[in-house]
Amino acid sequence: MSAEEEHSDDIALAGEYVLHLLDAAERKAFEARLVQEPALRDLAREWEAQLALFAQDIAPVTPPAAVKSKLESRLFAAPERASRGLRRWIIGGMLALGVIVGAAVLLPVLSPPVPSLTASVVAEDGSLVVAANFIAETNTLEIERQAGAALPGRVLELWLIAADATAPVSLGVLPEDRAARIALSDSLARQMTGAVLAISDEPPGGSPTGAPTGAVLAAGPVTGV
Amino acid sequence: MAGREDIEKMILQVGLGDRAAFSSLYDATSAKLFGVCLRMLNNRAEAEDTLQDVFVRVWQKANLYSSNGYSPMTWLITLARNASIDRLRARRAATVDIDEVHDLSDTGPTPEADAIASSERERLNSCLDELEPDRSDAVRRTYLDGDSYKELAARYDVPLNTMRTWLRRSLLKLRECLSR
Repeated sequence: MSAEEEHSDDIALAGEYVLHLLDAAERKAFEARLVQEPALRDLAREWEAQLALFAQDIAPVTPPAAVKSKLESRLFAAPERASRGLRRWIIGGMLALGVIVGAAVLLPVLSPPVPSLTASVVAEDGSLVVAANFIAETNTLEIERQAGAALPGRVLELWLIAADATAPVSLGVLPEDRAARIALSDSLARQMTGAVLAISDEPPGGSPTGAPTGAVLAAGPVTGV
Repeated sequence: MAGREDIEKMILQVGLGDRAAFSSLYDATSAKLFGVCLRMLNNRAEAEDTLQDVFVRVWQKANLYSSNGYSPMTWLITLARNASIDRLRARRAATVDIDEVHDLSDTGPTPEADAIASSERERLNSCLDELEPDRSDAVRRTYLDGDSYKELAARYDVPLNTMRTWLRRSLLKLRECLSR
């Protein structure tokens, strides 16, 4: 293929990607290229912008109010937490009005509780980048695979290596979706502070032994936000 | 309705974990995004669930948002469309009745919405008009109905590879016209 043909092939490919027309294998291969090729990312973004014009024809429809409340309780945890959250916002409002001085003392209370700890699990060569945010309120680890993917026929498994631990503990196999959410037990959640997260290359279904069996592809320390 | 800069500012605030900004962003954009989910899914209950998924993704991904000169609505609409496609594909994997899905989703734009279409949209339309009617229809269906090549091939009664060649050619022509 000439350079020009290759370019028009990429234009069509990026369009197919944005339209979700590629099959799973093609999509994965394209995403792997996206990580390394800024020009391809630009093509995909241009298609997104151009094709989003189709949506201009779509009339807005106000969703029922219940959707918002369900959404907020889904994201911001249990009802009793919500009232605590509300109080926090009221205090925030008073602060903004200058009613309370000494904001520095209150700031830790006011800062939104999500997330409390964070880690960037990154391969040395940048070929795999996974962001992890730990939400202490709900013992949830939110995972976002920002670059890279499992090798064909393999999976990525996430490990927690606690500060004083002698062996990694599996947090599970990362799904094909870029974003995932992992519910941690109380004991695992307590080990997040000062831990290291790592990702290893494993057979489908994850490590059969309970310890990493494949190469450790990426790692990163858990730090405060 | 909030302007482009307002929406951008809200997304950036949400990226910092600001729940009040999240609430404002929802109020400013949920109707449009719900419209997109409804249009693609043609099912109210599913569209409501999907709208929640969209805003969960907004909450999780806002810290990754960068405008790069593109409209923040493009970002939001892309999230809404992707979440709807995920649901459509899951639904279609569960049922084989492709015809039913097509018949349901045959609604055109409302006249009112047409009137507010922008000049950019007109440009897309005029470029689509340069394609053969079948081909531009296929591009539109893919975007708005989330059709796969398999579904398009069945609809136009052509082999899958032919369908793919058609659509790729149409995309190249479209792109060439849009960049003129």
